[in-house]
Amino acid sequence: MFIKQAEQLKLEKQHGQVDSGHQGVIRPGRVFLVRWSRYNPYYLEPEPRKEVYHIPETELTPEQKEERELKSVRPIKAATNSVTSSVFNDPVLSKFVNMMMKDGDKIIAKGIITQTLENMKRKQVEKYHKAPEGKKAEIECNPYAIFHQALENCKPVIGLASIQKGGKFYQVPIPLTDNRRRFLAMKWMITECRDNKHRRTLMYEKLSQELLAAFSKEGNVVKRKHELHKMAESNRAYAHYRWW
Amino acid sequence: MAASSGRTVGSFLWKCGNFCFNFNTVSSNLTRQVLSRQLCVSAVFHRKNLAAAGPEKFSEEFIKKQVEEFNIGKRHLANMMGEDPETFTQGDIDRSIAYLFPSGLFDNKAKPLMKHPDEVFPKQRAVQWGADGRPFHFLFYTGKQSYYSLMHDTFTKALAVEKHQDRLRGKGLFTQDAKQISLVGSRWLLKEELEELLVETISDHDYARFIQLMERLLSLPYCSAEEDFVQRYRRQLEIQSSKQQVQPLQYDQHGVAYSTGDGRRKTATGTVLLRDSGSGSISINGTNYVHYFPVLQDREQLMFPLHFMGVLGRFDMQCSVSGGGHSSQAGALRLAISRAMLSFLSEGQVETMRQAGLLTPDPRIKERKKPGQEGARRKFTWKKR
Repeated sequence: MFIKQAEQLKLEKQHGQVDSGHQGVIRPGRVFLVRWSRYNPYYLEPEPRKEVYHIPETELTPEQKEERELKSVRPIKAATNSVTSSVFNDPVLSKFVNMMMKDGDKIIAKGIITQTLENMKRKQVEKYHKAPEGKKAEIECNPYAIFHQALENCKPVIGLASIQKGGKFYQVPIPLTDNRRRFLAMKWMITECRDNKHRRTLMYEKLSQELLAAFSKEGNVVKRKHELHKMAESNRAYAHYRWW
Repeated sequence: MAASSGRTVGSFLWKCGNFCFNFNTVSSNLTRQVLSRQLCVSAVFHRKNLAAAGPEKFSEEFIKKQVEEFNIGKRHLANMMGEDPETFTQGDIDRSIAYLFPSGLFDNKAKPLMKHPDEVFPKQRAVQWGADGRPFHFLFYTGKQSYYSLMHDTFTKALAVEKHQDRLRGKGLFTQDAKQISLVGSRWLLKEELEELLVETISDHDYARFIQLMERLLSLPYCSAEEDFVQRYRRQLEIQSSKQQVQPLQYDQHGVAYSTGDGRRKTATGTVLLRDSGSGSISINGTNYVHYFPVLQDREQLMFPLHFMGVLGRFDMQCSVSGGGHSSQAGALRLAISRAMLSFLSEGQVETMRQAGLLTPDPRIKERKKPGQEGARRKFTWKKR
């Protein structure tokens, strides 16, 4: 039933698409397989959200109908540990928790994030109560909204790749995929909080400060993003070195 | 010819040690010759290269005779077992043979076998040239006559459909939304299945070209005229939700409905007794679930199936779990709860639970350590010298 996937570059080239079983890094023309899966690539991803299944038949687009029919004949993978149908389940937040995690200790990472969100809420509510009447509506108190907006503000639009040409390495501006952008934003946030803050402050405090700063487009992380953009702009001349 | 082939094949098989029994039960007036063994060519149908099997070893009459003998033998077997000969299925035959000839052998291919001759004797090509040596089919010299004739047929049909479309366009009756062939729930024939159908070996490239041509036929708006032809080369996929085993609901002495379920995740196993009493209390190994699972994520996993179906406060649960760590125990219990809940749900709800990923046992386990490496993935420190 569950077939262990061996490295199958030939399969990749024949079918010309990425199996869900192989989460490889793709540069078009070359595939580096970095991970295989206990699942047969025939298995589809599960959909744990409740609302999706309550849409009546009439409101489905033809693509959604086709997807439903496909799902009815294909086996589905099991939902992972961190995924639930609850309203509090946030895939972006789960990814952030996993990136914060050290040595597999998710309990501590999740605790830090919860404290961060609580801290952000407290600060914002304090600001809200101190603000004059006119300004109250502008202050965002929902910590989840702040987190998402802060992350959006940290995501770079364009990245750099080191390409060798004629013996020298040039920093060439390249477009980034959505996943890569999200990953960079999170990575920068975490490294910034771990390295560049005062030693005695706790992680949740550092994170909440940095997230609130990123929410208002200040702080070191958005500065880093702007620097990356400037570098890409200055290296614009080498853009044609990119062949994909 | 049959006897000689039987002998030669028999000697070959005797070396292999494979035997198949084809029943030929004797009518009452003959002497006791219960098993006239006909040694079947089981070695041939394990060979992959169908085309290289050579010219036919079994003539048509031989195969026909085998089919008759099989049918007569089936009726005799049904009479022996006291069953009705008219409704004696292949499954019944297998069971009867296993009962009458209990075999201590482990290899399934070595045990006594009674199957329809079409399954036993491999499909083989009839001789492709006449007495004068001239081949019958015009594509014989391509080497893959059935494959190329199939490609020709498909292309002819595509041309016919295009001609039909042009005629309709000429009359002004052409519409884009003609009835389309429904492809959902079926898949193309695999390369092996196509080879079996054509009784010829084809390469991967040939197979890809065939699929390409069929897709091209399907891309034409008026292809529904050739639906039968296309469906011959597609296989139905079975609906996955029908594979779920749902236990019937049980009732205890107070009339309260209950059901059990068990689940596994990594090395943890859990069982759950779900009672429809309406209080929503959960006890695990005798303790309250809040004390047993202090981590929020584990409790969320327990609630996932209940919350998904909207029955949070309805069921009483008595769980027992052992093995693994806290996460895998929670995962095992989640699967057990989902399985126990199936008895309370309708078909559509079972399907939604399956699509949410609640009913699949998670196959991920700890990856083994490999020799020459420190762990599953980590290599030893590289030293230059």
